[in-house]
Amino acid sequence: MTFNSAHLGRIEVDESSTIEFPRGLPGFEDRHRFLLMHHPANEGLVFLQSLETPDLCFLALPARSIRDDYQLAIPDEDLEVLGYPHGHCPEIGKDVIALAVLSLVEGESPTANLLSPVIIQTHTRRAVQAIRTDDRYRCREPLVVEEAVCS
Amino acid sequence: MLVIRRHSGDAISVGDEVEIEIIECGVNRVKLGIRAPQHISVLRREVKLTRDQNLAAAQSMSGAARPGMLAPFAGGKPS
Repeated sequence: MTFNSAHLGRIEVDESSTIEFPRGLPGFEDRHRFLLMHHPANEGLVFLQSLETPDLCFLALPARSIRDDYQLAIPDEDLEVLGYPHGHCPEIGKDVIALAVLSLVEGESPTANLLSPVIIQTHTRRAVQAIRTDDRYRCREPLVVEEAVCS
Repeated sequence: MLVIRRHSGDAISVGDEVEIEIIECGVNRVKLGIRAPQHISVLRREVKLTRDQNLAAAQSMSGAARPGMLAPFAGGKPS
């Protein structure tokens, strides 16, 4: 099927590349289906396009591309959503993808949310925004923008 | 900031409508019960931060805020 995104134009949606947030995201609790797409000019950047709201789209970067030693700390209730037992620690890259949502407010330095990474289970494509309960990373972690991203 | 000491079972009133009860005290965690009317939003601070950040992130993508970033998208592939 095709989908008309307010930001990305007409896009082809392959059902197998959609992801599902059973509980939505904080602030968007009733949005459940998203499409994960790579930016063609910058492979690291990904778009999270809502398939229910054409003008809802997030830009994100893999957490480990911002902090190469990024460690997960997923609360039990979020592990349940992903289908893991309590206390389990899935591996980034193997079991899950961990993305940091970017905020690009005009006139401000871009920031990445490393406090609440979007965790996608790579096999089931179920996802959750897992809010850490420690203070190891910040919600507005300053981002060094490469020239290629700005141009 | 008001700092007060309370025991398990004690409570604090905030205005006429909000009551916070200390249900249990552990070594490094406390269990709180919060009674508030529906129009008062009660959120863990990190949830509120995340919510505000998500709203700002979505807002920053709307309109023509980042045309340069989105322009080369034609032909993007789902992952």
